[in-house]
Amino acid sequence: MSNLINFTIDGKAVTAKKGETILTVARREGIYIPTMCYISKTTPCASCRMCVVEAEGVEGFVLSCNTPPTNGIAITTNTQALENERTNIMKLYDVNHPLECGVCDKSGECDLQNKTLEFNVSKQNFSARDQHRKIENWGLISYDPALCILCEKCVHVCNEVIGDDAIDLQFGGYKSKVIPKNSDTLDCTYCGECIAVCPVGALISTNFKYSANAWELTRVPATCAHCSGGCSLEYETRHTGISSKDNSIYRVKNNFEFSSLCGAGRFGFGFDNKTTKNPDAFARAFDAIVNAKAIRFSSMITNEEALLLQRLKESLGIKLYNEDARKYALFMEAYASISGKKHHSATLEAVKQADAVIVIGSMIATDNPAVRYAMTTAAKHNGAKIIYAHPIEDALMQNTITQFLKYEVGTEEGVLALIAKYLLADCELGSDEKAFFDALDDGYLSAESNIGEEELSLMMKSLMRTKNRVLVVGNDLIAHKEAKNIAKLVAVIEKYSDISVLVVPRDVNTLGVSLTCKLDCDDNSLENVVGYNEKGSFVIASLAGADLATPALNQQEGTFVSIDNRVIPTNAALAFDGYELHDLAKELGVGKQNTIDFTKELPQESGFKALEFDVLENFLAPLGEDVRGYMLDQVEVAMDGSLDELDALPEFNGTIIYNVNPVLQFNAYTNIASQLERDTTLRGSAQFGAAARISDGDQVEISFGDKTFVRTFKQEESLKGTVALNPTFDLEGNMESYRFQKSKIVRVNHE
Amino acid sequence: MSIEQFKNRNVSDDYFLVDIEDYPTDGWGKFKRVVKRTFQGELFVGLWVVLREMIKFDIHTVQYPKEKMPIGPRYRAVHEMKRLWESGTERCIGCGLCEKICISDCIRMETRIDENSRKEVSEYSINLGRCIFCGYCAEVCPELAITHGGRYENASEQRAHFVMYEDMLTPIDMLKAGQQQEFDGFGAITPHEDERVKKTPLAY
Repeated sequence: MSNLINFTIDGKAVTAKKGETILTVARREGIYIPTMCYISKTTPCASCRMCVVEAEGVEGFVLSCNTPPTNGIAITTNTQALENERTNIMKLYDVNHPLECGVCDKSGECDLQNKTLEFNVSKQNFSARDQHRKIENWGLISYDPALCILCEKCVHVCNEVIGDDAIDLQFGGYKSKVIPKNSDTLDCTYCGECIAVCPVGALISTNFKYSANAWELTRVPATCAHCSGGCSLEYETRHTGISSKDNSIYRVKNNFEFSSLCGAGRFGFGFDNKTTKNPDAFARAFDAIVNAKAIRFSSMITNEEALLLQRLKESLGIKLYNEDARKYALFMEAYASISGKKHHSATLEAVKQADAVIVIGSMIATDNPAVRYAMTTAAKHNGAKIIYAHPIEDALMQNTITQFLKYEVGTEEGVLALIAKYLLADCELGSDEKAFFDALDDGYLSAESNIGEEELSLMMKSLMRTKNRVLVVGNDLIAHKEAKNIAKLVAVIEKYSDISVLVVPRDVNTLGVSLTCKLDCDDNSLENVVGYNEKGSFVIASLAGADLATPALNQQEGTFVSIDNRVIPTNAALAFDGYELHDLAKELGVGKQNTIDFTKELPQESGFKALEFDVLENFLAPLGEDVRGYMLDQVEVAMDGSLDELDALPEFNGTIIYNVNPVLQFNAYTNIASQLERDTTLRGSAQFGAAARISDGDQVEISFGDKTFVRTFKQEESLKGTVALNPTFDLEGNMESYRFQKSKIVRVNHE
Repeated sequence: MSIEQFKNRNVSDDYFLVDIEDYPTDGWGKFKRVVKRTFQGELFVGLWVVLREMIKFDIHTVQYPKEKMPIGPRYRAVHEMKRLWESGTERCIGCGLCEKICISDCIRMETRIDENSRKEVSEYSINLGRCIFCGYCAEVCPELAITHGGRYENASEQRAHFVMYEDMLTPIDMLKAGQQQEFDGFGAITPHEDERVKKTPLAY
């Protein structure tokens, strides 16, 4: 009752919830208030003053973007005085703004252009002395201070949503400009979100600059094909050049008002596969599948193709290998055996709304930037406490996290048991669980995992009085030897407390594959394996060196299941002239007319709905609601699991590497995207270098398991500890195993 | 000329009514007309006019293609790309408006950023085989870079000749010689047009 505020805007009776501002209510009610600096996903910048309104009984104007309404107040949005005020602001914005709309990349989609025309500012009545302003090139991002209107959107987004906090405003009156924070050049994760939100052409993609105009580009709504975040994006395509009939992607845009995109999504779009039909290769592929014992495939696949492979498995009696998705499926199966629900309970939106987030077992900023952005939003907007448990400190998360729990490599199970014990200390537990926690040897676990009582008490203290709590579970737990028991622990935490759980899938559609296919354990014993975007004796892939070339994910239509358990459609941005998997399936008798005809046949026992692909929407509603695709139905399963007692925790000694990708890199596709930086060095601390007896710049041969490869060692100041980071995006073959590896590191002589 | 002069409906001496006989209505009348025309020798009047003009050597025929009529400034023939008078650089800034407005979709360009961080047009082509010479491109151009020229002869052995940017661009030596023709554009008056204006006979 007290949470609702009744007032009027332009005579219309409206109701605001607590926390809403006049502007958000007006937008919801469809009342237009012009703004220049407002962006829904951040706190109001309040720099443009365009959103002024009049409030009855209040002298002067009121900023609608950051003023909450009071009960009974009468707001007017469109008087002559307001119109004059806004026109004057526009006149000021236009002072000495370079008249280069003819060449400006923003022309046609420029807020300043639109508003200048809207307020009919046709001439400049006053001016300031012009000055030379140098165009800055910050790598993927260029900045032209002359075009900048200092709306501060970029600074707010960088700080409040992304968490890089890499740019700042240099105040100096007319000389003010955006500068890299505490650095000469821009040092950030290059998410490019600043480019997206820039209302004018000041911040621009260096690669896109002057290559095309906004109105020439065809926008193809799609879903990012790099991680499981399932971020919505639009590929913008146009003809490649004057003598080409083919299209190419010029840039990627997102609905920046409500969603964010990381740099890999924004700049890593050039991974399409070009080929022509090769009937010989097709015939060989057909023979290969008919004779194959198994098909090994990656999770970079649509649900439809995954279902197609499942049908192939059923009709040909072969095995299906996908270790990544199989491990995820096993984890979720164990989780479901306690929680009774097939799907994890949290979404990215829940993380954004949370006031406490516990992340465990993931280098989350590079594993899934969408989760990182959601956590940053929660931390900055709700003051959420972020507890980050991992053996390696992540410099990218420094601005966001409240407490870092550093545990020993391999002790995830013990750490989670300890955390669970503390979280569930005051809860009514079942007898089994109570017995389990009573039997825990806290001293041993603390000693082995290096998580002390004080740290856990501190964690509990900061979690006090928090209501919306989310536990984010990373790949280190899913790929762990004791994943089953870990999953059950996760489920126990969820079952007995109000904490919701988000299990982060590794690849784009790990989740979808785990729900669609019945996978077999891949022990590398079979010889005759067809690889689909994976290694095999015959390789069908959208990457170079394949025996049969197939379309990449931006040339396919279909659906993915995102981390939110949402089935989201993606569309083909570019044409593909060769064969696709479905053509093979047709020959093998399990095909339909189009791949997307499988969408409605996705298994309903996993929560899919029998919906046609064409009825799925792919956009965000005007007020930001995600209406893409549909949410998976929750599936109830039998609660027949119980916690196993903890075995001795494994110990990792010697030189340990952590297989994790650097910023902007995820997989073989980001590896071939031309704009993205490829840092293939083994990054480690000075301490690691000393332990492994290698120094900065050395060529080292790394071997673990059956893998051996050569890397250059790079010593990084920001890293600490005895674990080095090894990128995997450029490595062949499946890297689904536990990401910490005891490995042999030998210096190789320079030639 | 003032409007009063136009309002004067009195036909001047330049115009006269031609005396035309009534058409015959019956067979006899038609027969008489045939006989009259056959034996009057009117045929030789025409032959005489030709002979007379031939002897006078006062020939009005334009000796095309040796001789060409000046084309009106409004005429929209093959496009020209103009240069800046001062620097000689191309006027085109690559804004893409001509490409956008073209209703037969025959203009395409490629742009990029050059070493001076300016927008540079790296490729530009007009498919004259598709062009309907509507003139929108020249009208929309904010830099007066693309204009219509007076070259109306569109015959070539190869289609490729219809898209050559080099042919459209003012040669630099012509520019230096000050011979670049500005396009007077839409609504431009043909030179000396005033003198050729005549009264239209409206009163019959």
